[in-house]
Amino acid sequence: MNALLKKVLLLQNARALVCVASSVQSQVLTPQMPLGVLYRQYRSMPTHGIGRYKRLLPKLQKKKKEKTQMKEIIGATTTKFGVINVCVSGYDMTVVEHYSQYIHNLCKHLDIKVDESYALPTKSTEVMVMQEQGMKMFVDAVLKTHERVVQISELKATLFPILIEVILMNQPEGVQLCLKEHTKADYLTRFKSRPELEQLLAKINN
Amino acid sequence: MAAPFTRVYQPLWRKLTTTVLSTGVRNVSSTRQQWAELNVKTAGAASPWVLHGAVCLQRLPVVSQDRSPIEEDFMELMRQIEFEKSLLADHEVKVLEDSARMSRKQDEDYDSDEEDDYKNKKIVTAQDLEDVWEQNLKRFQPAPRSQGDGEKDLSSSERCLADSLVLLVKKDVGSQKIWLLPQIEWQTGETLRQTAERALASLPGADLKATFLGNAPCGFYKYKYPKDVQKEGLVGAKVFFFKAVMSSQKHLPLEKNTFAWVKKDELQEFLKPEYLKQVRRFIMAL
Repeated sequence: MNALLKKVLLLQNARALVCVASSVQSQVLTPQMPLGVLYRQYRSMPTHGIGRYKRLLPKLQKKKKEKTQMKEIIGATTTKFGVINVCVSGYDMTVVEHYSQYIHNLCKHLDIKVDESYALPTKSTEVMVMQEQGMKMFVDAVLKTHERVVQISELKATLFPILIEVILMNQPEGVQLCLKEHTKADYLTRFKSRPELEQLLAKINN
Repeated sequence: MAAPFTRVYQPLWRKLTTTVLSTGVRNVSSTRQQWAELNVKTAGAASPWVLHGAVCLQRLPVVSQDRSPIEEDFMELMRQIEFEKSLLADHEVKVLEDSARMSRKQDEDYDSDEEDDYKNKKIVTAQDLEDVWEQNLKRFQPAPRSQGDGEKDLSSSERCLADSLVLLVKKDVGSQKIWLLPQIEWQTGETLRQTAERALASLPGADLKATFLGNAPCGFYKYKYPKDVQKEGLVGAKVFFFKAVMSSQKHLPLEKNTFAWVKKDELQEFLKPEYLKQVRRFIMAL
């Protein structure tokens, strides 16, 4: 019984010594590291923790999340167009989405750079019908207009007529196509308005 | 259906450097006076070629093309699958609820207080709404997809609504009358695109509004004058084609024998073979 105890104590002492030795070692190697980091995963396998190196690298500062900035709008040159928005809109969402996907794939195939491909919020239109007898109008139907935008940049002027012809030829029924130049105002319409911020700003200015 | 855009996209430099075989000579001759004017204009230029600007005016397809039998079958199958996988819409749920309530009302031991739904005082049921909508649909008449016998009328731009049509003009060139795309001679000081716009505007008896797609020409055709017409320095003419798309469908009716709206596969009945070979390269058909 005593022998067993003695052996266990010996082992424990040995373990403690090893611990201290390793801590001393690590202290010697990396003097600038704080003592709180020193811990050692002890498992029975001798090679346990053999690949650990992260504690040896210098510590990185955590990156602060930056506010999304607008990408610079490239202007048009004599041979290339600037940033163009191809807006596809219609009442039938599947047709509109498929058509915008088709345009995107076509541009990828023709090696035209597609900057962004996003959707604008859906607009609901209520169709009011006047009653036959009386002045009251009541809601007949709700039409939802879906809009998808494919943003293209650096389009060569020689390639443009071919692209536009293919797009026009394959335009499905019930879908409106519109090509516009991208402006800052277009970029800002994508963001939600913040009424509290605007109120506070108005208060400051007044 | 996807357009065969792999076939269409050819770098422009390749188009311009392919020369047309000059064996297909067209009889081009003009009066002596016109020749004199031409000489005065091109006196300063060293080039022996006369420049022309031509316009390829297209009426784009208005309706989608009809489906082939396989496409029809597949679409029917997909529709069936989607229908079987779908959930009931709000309206359909209401219809079912109303019909269930009606069947409960018919029972002898019907007690209206047992109804959980407080809205059972409604006058208009969902089925009534559906009937009203069906009535409205019956009153709606969609426009016809094809003109029937009107397809034979070549000068009308309403024919073949599912295909894209190109405008051809019959002009007398020399001694013959031939069909070609509207073209006009280039004058010094204007760009070739302006020449093409002038070619479109100067068509007799037509007020066609078009949007030109870009400043770059889409095609090119070169031909030599016959030997007896070739004066010193003037070998032949070069024609540059510009693409334009019709902006409005409404226009005055065109003369039957002078104008024709043709599909791509009907082109070979109208144009000369060498001219057709070059023109076919830039006209797209679905």
